[in-house]
Amino acid sequence: MSNKILVVDDAKVVRVSLGKIMKKLGFEIFEAEDGAVALEQMKSHPDIAIIMLDWNMPVMNGYDFLVALRAQPKHATLPYVVMVTTETGMPSMLKALAGGANEYIMKPFSESIIRDKLEILGIEEPR
Amino acid sequence: MSLSERAFTNMHDFLKKNSGISVQKDKMYLLESRLNPLVRKHGISSLEKLVDMVCSDQTSAFAHEVIDCMTTNETLFFRDSYPFNALREIVFPELMAMPSANIRNIKIWSAASSRGQEAYSIAMTALDVLPGADKQVKILATDLSPPAVEYAKGGIYSQFEVQRGMPIQELVKHFKQLGDSSWQVNDKLRGMLSFNVANLISDNVIHTVRHHSEFDVVFCRNVLIYFEVEERRKVIDRIAKVMRPGAYLFTGNGERVEGENSKWEAVNYNKRPFWKMLSAR
Ligand SMILES: C[S@@+](CC[C@H](N)C(=O)[O-])C[C@H]1O[C@@H](n2cnc3c(N)ncnc32)[C@H](O)[C@@H]1O
Ligand SMILES: [Mg+2]
Repeated sequence: MSNKILVVDDAKVVRVSLGKIMKKLGFEIFEAEDGAVALEQMKSHPDIAIIMLDWNMPVMNGYDFLVALRAQPKHATLPYVVMVTTETGMPSMLKALAGGANEYIMKPFSESIIRDKLEILGIEEPR
Repeated sequence: MSLSERAFTNMHDFLKKNSGISVQKDKMYLLESRLNPLVRKHGISSLEKLVDMVCSDQTSAFAHEVIDCMTTNETLFFRDSYPFNALREIVFPELMAMPSANIRNIKIWSAASSRGQEAYSIAMTALDVLPGADKQVKILATDLSPPAVEYAKGGIYSQFEVQRGMPIQELVKHFKQLGDSSWQVNDKLRGMLSFNVANLISDNVIHTVRHHSEFDVVFCRNVLIYFEVEERRKVIDRIAKVMRPGAYLFTGNGERVEGENSKWEAVNYNKRPFWKMLSAR
């Protein structure tokens, strides 16, 4: 598995703070500000191992990106997709899981929660 | 505010006698940083005065509050994950293969359960692998801290707590969402648990939990480290008294069994040990 991680969020502050945590854990960070840019990033870096994915974004939202990603045979199960979102209702969680998300983080996130979720997915921190 | 030598010694002895926890001299700062907020909260004139109050009435509600401040309650769901995987893959299959499996209940004790995350994680694991676990598996959750036990009983956790250690699939399966971004365990899960306050360093603990005995599995995790070695031995021997021979004990990552009178065999799961009780008493 590569150390590459794609952080998708329309808010720059979120991309920066999430990126900072993941970088500290040893990951190489790629960014996208919406689902459409994220699809482009996946085309250029198909070996990205984890996607941290916001839900509400302009142009293409996180859920639509997830469905489009999982529709590609080579991404049917990988990379891992972790939703990181203010959508904290149970129906959203069920929808994301059915759409192929692997984990779900309700904002606000913290480093401890992120590390727990990586451990749950069996992902070792590179550092 | 800082503590005199005499007050430190009194506080040390009080804590050791009532909780088993042994605060070393070099952890003086810990005493001060945890107790100073109580001094302010109760408008007590000094830290010294607080120590006097606690030592003169060691069973008061205030004394309990002080003990609670000094014990570390930190916990999370599915902590370290391997104990729950070992339950799933080794312990439950073995229990189900026993000749008496379909007639008797499986009894599990979470012996320093803090706010209940450990006990509920055991219950979720059982429900995931054993059909009918809600009827057959009985889990007793105990802790020294009355507020922690009350919290566990309520089964309501914050958004932060439910994200610590818990896979999202378990959350959506076993919890219901309350309005204020908190989450409550389902009745099915809740119905598998019972709760009690119990102090591991007192022989009374055996009587408190005995009517649930004999246990097939005991979790005593991340509490032994706070005790000195003789205390640890005694605690392990007490626990052994309420386990059936062949039952399993899970200690914290890095905590080993040091019982005097009980014999244990290490079982390795992914290079981490848990313990099978060979004989006791
Ligand atoms: C760090 S928590 C561990 C919780 C859980 N077992 C885990 O591993 O996550 C330690 C707990 O031990 C409890 N404790 C401390 N001394 C105790 C004693 N003498 N008897 C019973 N519980 C005790 C504390 O109240 C606290 O809730
Ligand atoms: Mg957004």
